[in-house]
Amino acid sequence: MKEEILRVFSFYFFLGRKSGRTRTFFLLSSMAVLMALVIRTYRLAGHWTEDGQVIFQNFLMVFFLQFLIVLLGLFYGSSIVVEELDNRTLPYLTSRPVRRAAIILGKYLAYLSLTTVMLVFAVFLSYLILNLDAEFQAKDLLTVLRYSVILWLGLAAYLSFFSFLGTWLKKPILVGLAFGFGWESVIQYFPGTTQKLSVAHYLKSLLPQYTSSSGKLGFLFIRLEPTGPALALAILAGIILVFLVLACLLFTYKEYLFED
Amino acid sequence: MSAVIEARNLSRWYGNVLGISEITLDIEPGITALLGPNGAGKSTFMKIITGQLKANIGQVRIFGQPVWNNRHIFRRLGFCPESDAFYEELNGLEFLTGLLSLYGYDRKECLDRANRALELVELKDVSRRPIRSYSRGMRQRIKIAQTIAHDPEILILDEPLSGLDPLGKRRIIRLIREFRDAGKTVVVSSHVLPEVEALTSEIILIHNGKILARGDIHFIRELLDSHPHMIRVKSPQYRELARLLAAEEYVLNITFEPEASAVVFETHHRDRFFNRLNELVLDPGLDLEEITSPDDNLQAVFDYLVGR
Repeated sequence: MKEEILRVFSFYFFLGRKSGRTRTFFLLSSMAVLMALVIRTYRLAGHWTEDGQVIFQNFLMVFFLQFLIVLLGLFYGSSIVVEELDNRTLPYLTSRPVRRAAIILGKYLAYLSLTTVMLVFAVFLSYLILNLDAEFQAKDLLTVLRYSVILWLGLAAYLSFFSFLGTWLKKPILVGLAFGFGWESVIQYFPGTTQKLSVAHYLKSLLPQYTSSSGKLGFLFIRLEPTGPALALAILAGIILVFLVLACLLFTYKEYLFED
Repeated sequence: MSAVIEARNLSRWYGNVLGISEITLDIEPGITALLGPNGAGKSTFMKIITGQLKANIGQVRIFGQPVWNNRHIFRRLGFCPESDAFYEELNGLEFLTGLLSLYGYDRKECLDRANRALELVELKDVSRRPIRSYSRGMRQRIKIAQTIAHDPEILILDEPLSGLDPLGKRRIIRLIREFRDAGKTVVVSSHVLPEVEALTSEIILIHNGKILARGDIHFIRELLDSHPHMIRVKSPQYRELARLLAAEEYVLNITFEPEASAVVFETHHRDRFFNRLNELVLDPGLDLEEITSPDDNLQAVFDYLVGR
């Protein structure tokens, strides 16, 4: 099985590198870098007084956590099966000597790798642009590494959930958009246990908690009743595992028909 | 010879629409052609025997094993789908090596096999061009290349000649025959009758999801006793020939083609007709320039069977 996953991974990682979609999403991720450059320029000109760390945390919350990882997860995850159906290339895969579960897992890993590159590139570069100055210390790199790992976990979880959605539904994008930018955006602000029904809740639980000095977007942490880090990690790992298993099972037993 | 593909009572519906109904057949090594109009059920049958679809009723076995989710069978099977679909970002060589890598071949083996397949379909020169720039015929040939690149024992080709120019068709027909000569099993579908005739005489006629007839084209023709055989004879003495044969009770109808100096006979008993024709050639010394059977082709058989 491992070898089969690796074969699918290699093919789709190669294919993904050449695809126009990868270029588009890489450009989209680079928006963070561009925004960081603009803000840094403003700061140098004295028009922006907030600390680089605080600005980056706002970036993290708004652009990376609430937008980019959801979007990458949605468009890559939901496409794992749907793109093969829309492009009618599914028979090329399902008539090869690889288990159907290996197709899902191989493509999942290929797309996770591609999106990780986009994410890490944007996170590191925007962090450095906003914070690299005379006071910059090596431990700051550990901070950005921690942020990257948390975001990566979120990306893996969304990718897994949307992979399942794409394996299950013919048109997963609308449902995915409603979940990613509707449910996830709203439910995390509900008090009590309801907020624990969102992936974002566990990601926010792992991030440094905001204080009064958390800048303009500190309100994004209101009502957060954080889950302990170990449990948050376990739940995120569980989400990744459960939805991947469901996607594999569904793809193994479900048959897919082209539109006509 | 034992059957390589065994289908038993295969039925498949798409909601209320019938795909195929109670298809039972054994397919042996050699070329077998599925013939029928669009929507007849050929593609559905092919998708079931290649494990792309499940039958609602019945079962299909290849080499004695069920097909659905059986990756061991897929190693021995090559499938050329009907749809004109590709990973358009790739070039021909990348497309083939990528798919070959799914078999677990190493990089060198993938390249060797891909190059061999590209040579066979005569696309070696354009192997580094993106598939999106390929003509319809080239796309069809690269699709066939991915079918044969891993040297399968069974080839399932859904409309493999569609979109090819006459030269391209000849190349692919030659290639398919080479596979037959190598002892492989080839199942090919088409709705274009001359294509099938050029490939094989072993045909399965499908219409409305059911098998109408199966066998050698001549054998099938013999089954159609209710439909007369047409025999066209071209002779400078065609009127005399018609007069001599008109008295025979097995000659049902005679049509003259004066501009071609020919006469068309309709008969239920082809053998008796030809025996008498031989006698007439030898005895009164009639000159015959050409004898043809205008309806002894797949189109005629198909038209008869579907009642056109």
